[in-house]
Amino acid sequence: MTIRTARPDRVEHFRPHMHCLKKLEALVVEMQDPKTGVKGSEQKLNVTTIPHVITGKDIVAWITNKMKTTAEEANVVGTMLVAYGYIYPLQNHKKLVMCNDSSLYRFQTPYFWPSQKWVADDSDYAIYLAKRNIRKKGLLEPYEQVHYNHLHKWLNHKWDFIVMQATEQYRAGRERKKPDRVVFDCQERAYWILNRPPRRTHSALDCGPDRLIDPNASEKESFDLYRRMNIFYQQAIMRSKVKSSVSLGALVKYVTTYKTHDPFLAPCLPSNPWQTDSDAYWTLNMRSVDLPTKMRVERWSFSLFELLTDLRGRDDFKIFLKKEFSGENLAFWEAAEELKWGTASSMKSKAETIFKTFLAPNAPRWINIDGRTMGLTVKGLEHPHRYVLDAAQTHVLLLMKKDTFFRYLKSPVYKDIQKKALNPEPHSFSPGIHPIILWKQEEEEKAKAAAASAPVDVKTRRSAAAENRPRHFIIKLKMRKI
Amino acid sequence: MGKEECKTMLDALNKVTACYRHLVIALGSTSDSQNLREELKRTRKKAQELAVANRTKLTSLLKDKSISKDDRAEYERLWVLFSSSMELLEVDMKRSLEIGQDFPLKVPTRHLIQTGMTGGTTAVAARAMSVQNMKYEADSNIDTADLRDLQSEISQVSHMMEEMELKVQVAPWAVEAKQEAGAELKSNMSVGNSSVGVISICEEEPKEEEGGEVLVIFGAKDRLPVLTALCAPPAGKDMEVVQ
Repeated sequence: MTIRTARPDRVEHFRPHMHCLKKLEALVVEMQDPKTGVKGSEQKLNVTTIPHVITGKDIVAWITNKMKTTAEEANVVGTMLVAYGYIYPLQNHKKLVMCNDSSLYRFQTPYFWPSQKWVADDSDYAIYLAKRNIRKKGLLEPYEQVHYNHLHKWLNHKWDFIVMQATEQYRAGRERKKPDRVVFDCQERAYWILNRPPRRTHSALDCGPDRLIDPNASEKESFDLYRRMNIFYQQAIMRSKVKSSVSLGALVKYVTTYKTHDPFLAPCLPSNPWQTDSDAYWTLNMRSVDLPTKMRVERWSFSLFELLTDLRGRDDFKIFLKKEFSGENLAFWEAAEELKWGTASSMKSKAETIFKTFLAPNAPRWINIDGRTMGLTVKGLEHPHRYVLDAAQTHVLLLMKKDTFFRYLKSPVYKDIQKKALNPEPHSFSPGIHPIILWKQEEEEKAKAAAASAPVDVKTRRSAAAENRPRHFIIKLKMRKI
Repeated sequence: MGKEECKTMLDALNKVTACYRHLVIALGSTSDSQNLREELKRTRKKAQELAVANRTKLTSLLKDKSISKDDRAEYERLWVLFSSSMELLEVDMKRSLEIGQDFPLKVPTRHLIQTGMTGGTTAVAARAMSVQNMKYEADSNIDTADLRDLQSEISQVSHMMEEMELKVQVAPWAVEAKQEAGAELKSNMSVGNSSVGVISICEEEPKEEEGGEVLVIFGAKDRLPVLTALCAPPAGKDMEVVQ
């Protein structure tokens, strides 16, 4: 049994549908109309002239006209066309965006269009890299060289084929006329920049892992299929449905409550550590800080869940409960959590202590839960498992939520901490130099130092070469920057 | 000997596959035409004939139990070459079917994609068919009529490949390649004056890269040690010629 028979069709990798592709294709085909499409012009290289070159602004204008939208929207659609590979830029071939100016683009041939069915194969990429190796006489770009070595290792069994096919394709390509050869090279390059993006670039074709089941194939009709469908729909009917007005109202309420606390939407006081490199925010909001910040205290008032999950808030709540002499509810809740999340070996002993402390008839911290729940819990504790206290815990939580929590919010303890809470001033750091620019400056200084320390020779040839070296070096750096 | 025959036939199949790929890439673009469709058809037929011939030869060689281990390894390598060629051919045939269906030629409003390619593919097809000049004699409805043939041929090829997989027990991953990394550079050195091709494409690339490439060619002397690590000394000699 070989791999091929296990997966019947190696070519179809069953990737998720990319529904936009068909629509983009229709758009591109419409652009080709000689009367109403985009007007192309010619591009003059050294001695060759290549037709069918279009400018960015023509494309954007055409899309604006056709889809009757604003220029910004048209620009976005144009960028999408470039990002998916239907149009490729001629000047900055690695940057796949549509610029609304006189930058030049060209249409990609249908063979190289993106598709759900045809995935860019590794062996094809290896053939392309080998061809490029021939053309560039061994000087591939660093990321390409890495891929080349990797593929040479993993596709080693096919390597002879790859070399043979690459040389043959190269020779066959030379049979075409000069302008066509140039166009073909550009097309292939654009295709592979899209499908094997260089480092630190993102490809629009990123669609997650391949599946083993074909989403296009429909399941064979059988008794089992309909049985499963029936079960599914019956369960769907029985599910309780919430009216969208209700759920949307809840969503709006959530957003209005939390929007001032979201570090993406509101400025983080004193400053966002990821942006300013100052960790004052984290030190002020630590677990066991004496005085919490005002935002934190405000957050405790949103719900009991917020209060309990923030351990500093839980401490404050405990102080309040101690004053009210009703700390057993919270203690029981915490003990039940410990049981739920604890190790299996400690469960029996924990269950016993919990019973003795909270549930036994004359326990020191007896919790007041209704008879039925108490009965169930006690019975369950004979053979304790992780979730034996679930019912009692829920009841206790509900008690706290409906009653104790609101008393806490009105209590002097809470009001006191609200007053004492800190309100840090927002930092105002002056905008610094971007670290990449700093690095570039450092590298340039290093290069200058290297050049200065290089030996100065009497022979002019040597000195000329030494002069060339730093320029070469810096320009190499600029190349790598892209 | 059987091996030499096999190798020549495989080379031929390889050549036809490469040319077929070039032709399929031109489908749907402005260099598409009646002639291209006919070229595709004839290249395909030739590829299939070669494939069948190759298959019979290789299966008969592999079935022979009395061959030596080295011979067997060599035949397995040839088999992997053959099956990889066939896979490529199958994919290209399927794609040509799809694209052919999407871009029919005989419709009143014909929208072929303006890719910038306007020249013909006659020379490529001639290379594939190993003839000097191509003669075109197809009907005008070749684009639709051919698609039906294409579908049946695709199913034939798929069937053949499945049969191959079941009958011949060759583990493709066990084959070791004879070529090392960078081998294509050695084989291509005879196809010399490609430097012109290099520089003209430079102009399509952004300024920095162009500068980089030109500098690199001039600075080849510095880079010689790096190059020789990648490929054999003849390549280095050629670099001097370019300078």
